[in-house]
Amino acid sequence: MMERIEDNLFEFAEFDERESEHIAAPRYSYWKSVWRTFIRSKVTVFLSIFVIALVAFALIQPMHSGYSPTVAPNINNSEMKYLPPSSEHLFGTDNIGNEVWDVVWAGARNSILVSFVSTAIIMVIGILVGAVWGFSKKMDKWMIEVYNVVSNVPYLLLAMILSYVLGAGLGSLIFVMVCIDWIYVAYFIRTQVMIIRDREYNLASKCLGTKTFTMIIKNILPYLVSVIVTYISREIPSLISYEVFLSYMGLGLGTNYASLGRTISQYKSFMTGYPHLFWIPVLVLAAIAISLYVVGQKLADATDPRTHR
Amino acid sequence: MKKGYILKRLLRSVISIIIIMLVVFTLVFALVPRDNIFFEDATYRKLGGKPDEKIDYVYNTWQKLGYLDYVKINDYCLELYEAGSDEIKNALNPDSKETADFVALYESKGYTIGYYTVSKRAYAYKDVPLLQRLWKWFSNLVRVDTIYSVQDPNNPDLERKVYFGRTPTGGLALIGSGTYHKYLLYTDSHFPFIHQNFITLNMGESYPTYQGLEALSVMFSSQGTEVKRDVTYETGETGSSAIDFGSLTYKENLDRMDKKKFTDHYANYTTFKDQSSMVGTSFTMGIFALLLAYGIGLPVGVAMARNKDGVIDKLGMLYIIFITSVPSLAYIYIFRYLGTTLFGLPSVFTTFGPSDIRSWILPIISLALPSISSLMLWIRRYVVDQMNSDYVKFAKAKGLSRKEIFRSHIFKNASIPIAHGIPSSLAGCITGAIITEAIYSVGGMGKMLPNAINQYNNTMIIALTFLFSTISVLSVLLGDIILTKVDPRISLTDKAGRS
Repeated sequence: MMERIEDNLFEFAEFDERESEHIAAPRYSYWKSVWRTFIRSKVTVFLSIFVIALVAFALIQPMHSGYSPTVAPNINNSEMKYLPPSSEHLFGTDNIGNEVWDVVWAGARNSILVSFVSTAIIMVIGILVGAVWGFSKKMDKWMIEVYNVVSNVPYLLLAMILSYVLGAGLGSLIFVMVCIDWIYVAYFIRTQVMIIRDREYNLASKCLGTKTFTMIIKNILPYLVSVIVTYISREIPSLISYEVFLSYMGLGLGTNYASLGRTISQYKSFMTGYPHLFWIPVLVLAAIAISLYVVGQKLADATDPRTHR
Repeated sequence: MKKGYILKRLLRSVISIIIIMLVVFTLVFALVPRDNIFFEDATYRKLGGKPDEKIDYVYNTWQKLGYLDYVKINDYCLELYEAGSDEIKNALNPDSKETADFVALYESKGYTIGYYTVSKRAYAYKDVPLLQRLWKWFSNLVRVDTIYSVQDPNNPDLERKVYFGRTPTGGLALIGSGTYHKYLLYTDSHFPFIHQNFITLNMGESYPTYQGLEALSVMFSSQGTEVKRDVTYETGETGSSAIDFGSLTYKENLDRMDKKKFTDHYANYTTFKDQSSMVGTSFTMGIFALLLAYGIGLPVGVAMARNKDGVIDKLGMLYIIFITSVPSLAYIYIFRYLGTTLFGLPSVFTTFGPSDIRSWILPIISLALPSISSLMLWIRRYVVDQMNSDYVKFAKAKGLSRKEIFRSHIFKNASIPIAHGIPSSLAGCITGAIITEAIYSVGGMGKMLPNAINQYNNTMIIALTFLFSTISVLSVLLGDIILTKVDPRISLTDKAGRS
């Protein structure tokens, strides 16, 4: 039996002007969405923990071991040479009685340090210059000429000559990489900025009197976050690769610094006799580079608003 | 396309090459200590116990390499007095009047005066400014051979003429006398069969490695052991030699052996060797790697796009991620290991040498690996983009088969940007692959620059920079021109009405 609906059950609602302005959509926070998208995949979470642990270990372990390529404490101790990997010597020992474990992590630390610091400096300079470059047509005219000249120089040639001129060392290697790479980042950002500079919402914003600087910071750079993260995720492994390459060639970091590139070039003669000596640094290098790259790509995917649900 | 545009581009290319050279000159000559060049010099080391001769050698070498102008008091006094006379012996003394004159004269010219350690005799030197050196380098770059090229004070009766004749091996030749080269134009049995020596490039003499050789001939002349054969010289003398008659150049001081073989002063020559030159080796390797890369990269890339998100696509992406993220040093070693253990291929080029095809397989594959990956990535991107475009939907609606659409529409459009990269990849073949050649110890161009840098061979560094940057600048220009030929819609010049 149905109950009777009577008028006194109802009352008049008050008209609330503030409530009518409220938009009935869930609140959207960009960085929270990035985080949620990023941790959605278990593999990604596992890989990023692995990468963080790897990087942290590479930074801390050499401090603990105190390995330096200039000292060889076991050089006269023939019992410590060419030991195979065991529980006591995790990666074995090399021709002068050094723990390969220590050598590899000291090298990894320098590779990671150089590539991270250079990437940070390159990105800051590149983004700032690129943003202004993309905005100012006057600046574009002569910057494009500078770019034409610089991009015509064979990349490796300049890297090699610069590191030859500046000499060995972490600082000069970072300087070499920044010198060469910043203009490519700036050019890349310039093109991206030019693409969205003349979109309708920016024209509207300009009409409303927004300052150029505010427009760059508020309207354009947030749009570029995912593109920039994609770039960084490729930049870091490629700079690791260049450090290794230069050191392998006897340039780059000098003999006073541990380096994976030089370690590989030193150990390559043991490839047949003591294969573990050669393969451990190569595989560690590959593992570091590939995991950094994959995590970077996943992060770049997560920063793209189109993947947000 | 407008002719004016290409001309402008060429001009801009020349300017950027000059700027690059200025940068490299500054880097190499102003920032690197000039004493470094002696690190690899054996003669310098032998002079350790003779300080005067050492100073003389050092300054002479610097002068030869263009660092400075160097004058000795001996040269100054020889102009005043005869050699061996008593006056000259007195004049050379550090407290003589002539020495005072010498010092005053050269100090007024801006020279710095120095004294030898033992004999205390005077010498003077003055640095050559960088821009002047650059200008000198460029003005000496192109050497045109004329009948007045040779100016030998000891041979004033040298005939100056050009005439037709035959080389000792029987080829037709245009022969010069008074020219730097004997055979200006000649034919022989070696590729490219017709050779010319009218215009040659001169990039300076290599030092301290490959001493006495010109920078360019280090790169372009054959390597390995000499190929001897029975030859008959101009004098009728016969013997077994690897001489390349076409390379004969003027020699000022002939020795007994030269006089036995040659009727004139043209007695400097290079020899034929059994292995191709550094450029040749790199180029052969590069061309095959390029063919392999296009042969694999293009079809696989297209297959990936057609099965987007399928198994082939996923596997292909895995390969691309591997190659782009792992440093080339690591993956080349990994692939080399696979090749040597699974197929028994030699791990270094020198095991069987360049005559054995097995030596080439692994380096070529290693060289192709990164190109395959980037070609796969880009062709996949382009094909996917084309597949989603309106004209493909229209073609489908008209009832064209998938195959037809792919062959005559999508692939054509997708290959346009690929065509743009071909000249640059070809240029890459000449400049060599540094890591690959180092790992397989291939005698190509790739090792030249790192070696030149490590051995402080500044002449080679400059020559290589010039060669590499010229090739890369021109190949980018060529790529742009090809692009407009392949796709007429593209114009390199700004269209009217566009800002």
